[in-house]
Formats: sequence, C-alpha cells, structure tokens
Amino acid sequence: MQLDAKFKTSDNAVSREVSGEMVLLNLESGTYFGLDTVGSRVWQIIEESPVALSIICDQIESEFDAPRELIERDIMALATDLSSQGLIELETD
Amino acid sequence: MIQFRVRSARAQQVLETAPYDRWVLPDGEVRAEFHCRINGFLVRFPGEVDFEIEAETLAVKAWPVDAENALIAETLFKNAITPILVNHQGGLSLHGSAVSCEGGAIAFLGISRSGKTTLAGAFAKFGHPFLTEDVIELVWERDRYWVQPKESELRLFRDSADFLMGEQENWQHDDEKQSIETSDLLPFCENAVPLCGVFILGDDEPNEISLAGLEPQQALAQILPHSFILDVEDKQRLKSHFSRLGDFAQRCDCFSLDFPREYSQLEKIVDQICQLKLERN
Repeated sequence: MQLDAKFKTSDNAVSREVSGEMVLLNLESGTYFGLDTVGSRVWQIIEESPVALSIICDQIESEFDAPRELIERDIMALATDLSSQGLIELETD
Repeated sequence: MIQFRVRSARAQQVLETAPYDRWVLPDGEVRAEFHCRINGFLVRFPGEVDFEIEAETLAVKAWPVDAENALIAETLFKNAITPILVNHQGGLSLHGSAVSCEGGAIAFLGISRSGKTTLAGAFAKFGHPFLTEDVIELVWERDRYWVQPKESELRLFRDSADFLMGEQENWQHDDEKQSIETSDLLPFCENAVPLCGVFILGDDEPNEISLAGLEPQQALAQILPHSFILDVEDKQRLKSHFSRLGDFAQRCDCFSLDFPREYSQLEKIVDQICQLKLERN
C-alpha cells in the first residue's frame, strides 16, 4: 500500500460514534470493528470525501502529538485493516 | 398490531432459493432460515413451522408441518417473529431474559443455552421476580428504557427446574425444555420496570465468577448479535437499527459476565450482581 492511495468508505459500512469512539459495522458480512480516538478521526476524514493516505497523515500530524514516521506506519496499518474488512475501498477515479 | 394466522398443516417443501440468513445454535443445528419471496419473506424453522411475512403489511401466516406443531407456531410467533417485526418497525427487542431487582430491571443477553433463563430463574428463586424470558422488549419513555413484562412462565431443562423448584415428577422428555408456570417459588413481575443494567453472558466456563464493565463501544459490538433482524439486505433499516443499538449501548450500564455453570454457585452470582447497586438509567 502506498501513501498516495486514495480511499473512500464502502457502501456496506455503517458507523456509529459511541462515547467519542467509532464502531463500524460491515452490513454485508455482519462484522464490526472498533476504532480508538485517532482511528475514529481517520474514519471521519475518509467519510467526508475520498482522500489519499498522505493527506490523512497531514491532518493527523496537525492534530495529534506524534512523530510523522509513526503516524504514517499506523495509518497504513489501519487502512490495510479497514480495507481487508471491506469497510473502505480504493478510489480509482 | 400484527395480523397473524395459523394455517392448516403443510409439509415443508424444498425451497428453490438459498437462505439469505440463518440462525445457528452453538451445536451447529440450524434453528431458522430466512428466504426472500416475491412479496416478502419466508422464515423456516426446520421440521416445525414456515412463517410467511408479507413485506408491505407485515401480515404473518404460519404453516406448521403437522397439527402437533400448531402450538409451537404460536410460541415461535411470540418469541421469534414478533421481536423481528418490532425491530423491523423501529422498535428494540433483544434476545435474552430479565428480572426486577431493587434498583430496576436487569437484563441477561446471550446465545442460546448460555444460561440466561436459569439465571433469571435463580434471581426469581432468591426474591427478584422475573420479567421476561427469551425476548426483551424495550420501550424508551421518560428518558429510560422500560422492560416490558412478558408471559408468566419459564422454559427450562429438567435439571434447572429441579434446582429452582424442587424435583419435578411429571417431566416428559429429559432432553427437552418444558414450560414452568410462575408461582410463589418463582415470582413474576407484572409491570414494566426501568432498565438499570445489562449483562452479556459469555460462553466460557471459568472456575470463578468473572464480571467486568464494558465501555459503550464494546457493549454495542456485543449486543448486536443478540438483536433480531428480518432483512439483512435492507441497508437503510440496518443503519437505523445499528444507530438505535448505539443509543442503547450509550445509555445503559453493560457488563460481561462469565460464571461456572453450577447450580451451587447461582446464589453467589445473584448476590454479587445485586451488590453492584446499579442505578436506573
């Protein structure tokens, strides 16, 4: 996965904020996925409009106190997880 | 009001459609299969009853496989089809049992045969009347969820009934559940009670009681499998349902509960839960 990959939320994904953190449900498979504070923010950014991972990293870097390298690694790992769960999809346009 | 009719007995024909959803018991037995029809849905309880649900009116017709299953059709309509339709129409029904305690109602959610009914029975035996078995219908009113009382009987296996009520003499089949009417030994609460706590039963069998609070987001994920859904392909309805469960998880104190499935431990579990001093939501 590359940082310039652009993602959008899947039509099968539904999210619900509960006590400040997101719980995601894949309507197709019935699987659910909980996100921590940073993960929840990432989800909100993707939900607004299709976006490249590098842009998400910029946004997270400006909002949270963490080294860029760590942010990039965590965002890539999260995108891989969300994608394998069918909750986000690559935007090909 | 849901229109319901039991039709004459009919053998279960092989269906051409593949089920879009199934309820499967822990031992792998298929309890129910959900099929799409031109004008609605068919819910099949293999070897017992077919229910046809009209999509537009939600009118229900039951076709028991034989005359003996006519009564089962009534029970399944009450305990399985009605809660599905309640949720389909924007209500909130969960699979579980509930009892009335000092601070309010306590609900137990769990998969089939996880001990929900026996636990509710134990609460009743030790002075906390039971409210409902199998289906918990919740109504949001005056800023609280109210557990609606349902039926004054418990469906128990013989060993549970022996523990709760003393040795049972007239038991038809040792390996089947039988209905036990409420009585002075197992009191029933006839009024709706505000919910004060939800306990989600695990399938572990630890040596000690294990009780832990759940964060709302954890609770939401754990409550979801215990709700009733008719049409898993109706995404708009599923979204609304998910949102209602999200509200529920945020508004209620939820706990995970595992305990040794030993009758001698039940009084201790009842005491431990009662000591939590749960407050009405």
